[in-house]
Amino acid sequence: MLREKGFNAFIIVGGLAAWRKAGQPLESVPREDLVKLPTFS
Amino acid sequence: MTDLVSLITRHGYGIVVAIVFAEAVGLPVPAALALAVAGAAVAGHVLRAQVFLPLALVGMVAGDTLLFFAGRYTGWTLLGWLCKVSANPESCILRSAESFYKRGKTTLVVAKFVPGVNTMGPPLAGSMKMRFSQFLGFDAMGAALYVLAYFTLGYLGHDFLKAISSGFHAAGRAIEEVLLVGAVAYVIYHLWLLRKNRVYRVVPRVQVQELMERLASEEAGRVLVVDVRSHGYYDAETSRIKGSIRIEPNNLEEELKKLPKEKDIYLYCT
Repeated sequence: MLREKGFNAFIIVGGLAAWRKAGQPLESVPREDLVKLPTFS
Repeated sequence: MTDLVSLITRHGYGIVVAIVFAEAVGLPVPAALALAVAGAAVAGHVLRAQVFLPLALVGMVAGDTLLFFAGRYTGWTLLGWLCKVSANPESCILRSAESFYKRGKTTLVVAKFVPGVNTMGPPLAGSMKMRFSQFLGFDAMGAALYVLAYFTLGYLGHDFLKAISSGFHAAGRAIEEVLLVGAVAYVIYHLWLLRKNRVYRVVPRVQVQELMERLASEEAGRVLVVDVRSHGYYDAETSRIKGSIRIEPNNLEEELKKLPKEKDIYLYCT
C-alpha cells in the first residue's frame, strides 16, 4: 500500500528481533504513545 | 461420540472433570457434551450427582483460575496472543478491554455459553486486575450455571445416551463433510497466502547491517524507520528501534498522512 501511494518503502528482514540480535540501539516507548487500557484497580 | 460415552462409563468422574478443566483452559474439547452424558449417566445410576457436580465445578473453576493468573502475570501479552486470530488485533484488544470493563461481572457469568468468549473472560479479569475474590465469585456462578444447564439436559433426557449413540453414524458423516470442507478451505487459504506473498516480494527487503550502514552515512537524514507492529504499546517496558516512529497498520490510510514522501521508509515488526 505504501508503494502504491508513492512511498519508497523497504522491509527490515527479521524485524525488531534481528535488530536486537545485531546489538543495535533500542529505546523505550515514549509515554505519550502508550495506550492506557482500563483496569479494575 | 461412542468413545466418549464408553470413556465416561469406564473412568467416571475423572474423565469428565478432566474434559471440563481442559475446556476451561481453552482446549477444543466437548465439555458441554461430556456434562450432558454425565447427566444421563447419573439418571442411569452409573454416576452420583452429589459427587459429580462439585467435582465438575471445581475442575472448571480451577481451569479459569489458571487463566486468570496467567492474565495477571503476563499483562496484556496473553490477550494480545488470543487476539491474534482476530481480523484487527489492535481493536480486538481495545474493544475486549473496554467491553469487559463495562460488563465484566455479567460477562463472567454468561461467558461460558459463548464459544471464544469463555476463554477470554478469565485472562481479561486477570489482566485488568480484578480482585481475585470478586473474580472467583462471579466465575463460580457462571461455571455452576454452565455445569447445571448441560447436566440437567442430559439428566432429563433419560434416553439421551441411546439417542446420541444411534445418531453417531449420522454425526460421523456430518463430521466427515465438515472436515472435507475444512480441508478445501485450508488449501484455498494457503493458495491465497501464496499469491499474497508473491505480491509482497515486490517490496524490497534489507538486512539490519545494510540499514545500519545507511544510518551511519550522510544519507541518514533520508531514512525513516517505522514500527508497524499490530499490537499497540500497552506495556511501558516495550522497546523499539532507536529513533523509529510508530504507525498503526490497521489505520494505514490515516497514518500515511504523517509520513514524509521524500524519505525512504524502513518498516519493521516484531
